[in-house]
Amino acid sequence: MQELESEIKNIIAEILEKDPEEIKPESRFIEDLGMDSMMALEILAAMEKKYKIAIPEEKLAALTNLNATLAIARECLAKKQNAHT
Amino acid sequence: MNEKKVVITGVGVIGPNAIGKSAFSEAIFQGLSGIKPISLFDTSAYKVKTAGEVKDFQPQAILGEKGLRVLDRSTKLVNCAAKLALEDAHLEINEGNTLDTGVAIGSTLASVRSMSEFDKEAIKEGPRFVNPALFPNTVINSPASQISIRFGIKGFNTTISTGFTSSLEAVGYAANFIRMGRAKTVLAGGVEELCEQTFLGFYRTHSLAGSKDAGIELSCPFDKRRNGVVLGEGSVVFILEDLDSALRRQANIYALVSGFGTAFEPYRVDKYPSEAQGMSRSLRQALDKSALSPADIDYLSAGANSGVNADVLETCAIKDVFAKYKEKLYISAIKSMIGECFSAGGAFGLAAGVCALEKQKIPPTINYEVKDPACDLNYTANQARAAKVRHALINTFGPSGCNASLVISKYNA
Repeated sequence: MQELESEIKNIIAEILEKDPEEIKPESRFIEDLGMDSMMALEILAAMEKKYKIAIPEEKLAALTNLNATLAIARECLAKKQNAHT
Repeated sequence: MNEKKVVITGVGVIGPNAIGKSAFSEAIFQGLSGIKPISLFDTSAYKVKTAGEVKDFQPQAILGEKGLRVLDRSTKLVNCAAKLALEDAHLEINEGNTLDTGVAIGSTLASVRSMSEFDKEAIKEGPRFVNPALFPNTVINSPASQISIRFGIKGFNTTISTGFTSSLEAVGYAANFIRMGRAKTVLAGGVEELCEQTFLGFYRTHSLAGSKDAGIELSCPFDKRRNGVVLGEGSVVFILEDLDSALRRQANIYALVSGFGTAFEPYRVDKYPSEAQGMSRSLRQALDKSALSPADIDYLSAGANSGVNADVLETCAIKDVFAKYKEKLYISAIKSMIGECFSAGGAFGLAAGVCALEKQKIPPTINYEVKDPACDLNYTANQARAAKVRHALINTFGPSGCNASLVISKYNA
């Protein structure tokens, strides 16, 4: 779980061009970290690629901070695991 | 109609043999070649190994760290050239001038690599896993658009994709906007990046020097040994301004844009005609629009690129247009030093013309050793020379039929 958090934090940091330390659990992507709509799409696509998961398009609006992003990733990963069992 | 005069007040160069206008000026007068072994991709499968590549290109040193991550090489090259041009002109884009400022960039193959890589990723990883942020790079107006986005320019934004003549046509287009009073300032120029995809295209069509038979791999315009082009890359951006605006802000004026000519020669794709009628028309039109005669032109910055037929064709057009004045005309082909930068080639040729007016010197055609009876004009072989340069004529042309020519003149206050 720690690993997932740190990996996703790094993805976000790279895309938003910030230090990973600046990505606090509740920092708002748009207001605090300067995310635009293309960067949001890129974060989504980068997670899909890394974990080979499908994140439904409607989740894009929920990509508001690190905690929310982690929740989405965990949910999609769980779905993937269930599909395999 | 009282037409405005157009002047060049800034030059930004990111070239194979120099970065920055002063370095470029020094490099071309020294005859410094930027053609070296290719490092951007593996050439072990090809007979051709060299190109005019921009080595040690560090866009972050010019543009800062942020906002470069997803931009492709072409877009970074042109943005760096634009930044250097703005600095050279001591011009800042602000709320007061942004609506009167435009962008016109010549580019034809600049997004080929991005398109190819985007599709490659989709095929390799699956369509769901392509990075959407890389898609904007795949369109040909990406380099020009990103200039306006980065520098906050709100006037017109145009990309011209006519191959070899693109950047000179972009400058001609920009000058027209200013002449007609539709813009006061335009960032105009061109860009192309070197990549394996375009290299392969030129290689497989046997357009590259050394790609077939025993031809040597050398960019040697007008020399008998020539057997094709050596590719180059880079970007040049000029600041074009309405003369009154330039004078008001006490800008340094490099040159007056005197006249532009363009003509199409409908013949065949990728093959030069045997007569240079289209090119002659283009050269004559540039002179007519400048209200100058062949006797007034001191320097011709040639489009010759070491192509077997191309260089003869340009020689024929010059003879046709200049007639008895051809002997006193200094000609040089700077593609001998930087290679064929395709859409950006005309902008590099124009930068050489600006340097010639400024330094009152003619840059050389390097690698010129073996005379060809079919190319028998004064090509300023191997050594720069001092000369009185009042007017320079820049010429571009390509095997698709495009021809474009531009006259610039020394500005006398």
